[in-house]
Amino acid sequence: MHCSTHTLFRRGRLYHRLVLTATVLSCFAALTARAQERPAGAVLDLGIRSQKTIGLYTENGITAQFAHTKLANQRLYIGVTYVTSRLGTALNSNAIKQDNYLASVLYLFRPNWLVRPLVRLNAGYFRADYGSDLFRDLPQTSLLTSPELGVCVCPRFPLKLNVSVGYNLLTGDGVTGPGTLYPVFVQTSLTWNVLHKSTH
Amino acid sequence: MRSLLPLLLIALLGLSCSKEPAITDDMLDSGKVFDPSLYKPELYLLSKAIPNPTPAQATRPVIIACHGYSATTFEWDEFRAYLAGRSDVYLSQVLLGGHGRSYADFKQATWRDWQAAITTEYEALVKAGYTNISLLLSSTSGPLLLELVASNYFSGRTAPRNLLLVDPIVVPSAKSLSLIGVVGPMLGYIDTNQPAAEDKVYYHFRPQETLQQLQTLLDVVRKDLEKGIALPTGTTLKVYKSKQDPVADPVSAVLIYNGVTNAAGQATDVQLIDSKLHVYTRLRLRSDVTTADQQNQTATFADIVSRVLR
Repeated sequence: MHCSTHTLFRRGRLYHRLVLTATVLSCFAALTARAQERPAGAVLDLGIRSQKTIGLYTENGITAQFAHTKLANQRLYIGVTYVTSRLGTALNSNAIKQDNYLASVLYLFRPNWLVRPLVRLNAGYFRADYGSDLFRDLPQTSLLTSPELGVCVCPRFPLKLNVSVGYNLLTGDGVTGPGTLYPVFVQTSLTWNVLHKSTH
Repeated sequence: MRSLLPLLLIALLGLSCSKEPAITDDMLDSGKVFDPSLYKPELYLLSKAIPNPTPAQATRPVIIACHGYSATTFEWDEFRAYLAGRSDVYLSQVLLGGHGRSYADFKQATWRDWQAAITTEYEALVKAGYTNISLLLSSTSGPLLLELVASNYFSGRTAPRNLLLVDPIVVPSAKSLSLIGVVGPMLGYIDTNQPAAEDKVYYHFRPQETLQQLQTLLDVVRKDLEKGIALPTGTTLKVYKSKQDPVADPVSAVLIYNGVTNAAGQATDVQLIDSKLHVYTRLRLRSDVTTADQQNQTATFADIVSRVLR
């Protein structure tokens, strides 16, 4: 009985989160009736990224991505990201402190649309800090490689909202890789083009 | 990743396959083979064997031994054999709720049902007057007990002396379990492909409902550990963890070490064992048991008894 209630509660929470996300995106779209016009020069988006691993931690951090007219007509972005549980679940808790360093390549489809499908490939490095020498024999580092599928909401002003689902091709079983490296994650990032020049 | 792809493949196949497993009569799942504690509980449960202890018996140390997910009292039979002939300690082997009966019973049981068997025996022993009780828990029994501590079950009750966790699971080695809520309904069940000899003492088929229950329990306990769990006054905890456990990720020991403190705020005791086995204290019915495995088992049994008799 307790368990059923718990499950329903969890589902209810998930539902409310989805509704909230959809509402925010709708408002965002309504406020910005037109899509972002492609800037004439280079793009350097700087911002924050929040990542939730299904079944484990929330990890937050920073992200940057760069595009140039000579790079697939500004459809292709290269980027770097750092997300950590230190700024997420492990903040003021006993959760394991772990860091993800990513380099990525992102491709945007439908560049004139307000909501643009995207695909991203990440590669990087994962490190977990178990906090005690007692566990020195357990694997604590791993390479990272993950594809992501999602959308970028690109309104008129130089703000971008990326939402995507990723899949870690390398996970850990605690013997051959760190045990807190899980397969599926959902990420949201909010960035601002710092090279944007106002036309007014 | 290696474990996920087969799971997804099976899930896709499962869309077109039967959701009922092919259970044979010699499997525990069949409802025709039962855990022996159901026939003769007095041989397994101290509360049934000695329901009215003398004052001397009531102060003697008692170890309540609980098994893991899909297992039975069999998991601690070797410890019973190890204790044979001793008169200074009692052993009570608990069969978790929904276990050791039939596939249908297993499928219907929640993790609360699994856990209820532990509290039922604990309360029966306390009510009978036993005062020196320790708990020995393998695999999934570990999080079942940690949840009891986190939810203050022992507050206002006689606190246990020792909590001894053998290969507790908080993080599964197969990370695909985190997706069981999505792929589980497509799978229906999982076939363990275990040896036929084990089919009489472990469920052969694992209903996806029970895997969802397991995932729910692990989520609850992981979050409890993140917040911090304080043991009752007078209770100690030790974790024995196989370094290369193929079922319960060894990082489970890290989470418990970081998340549990005794009443004085001190860290708990963790011992990493050089072993590739899950629940390395159970060797019967395993193939390729090494001398090192036997030494690990004996050393752990001796350590358990010395702690309980302390």
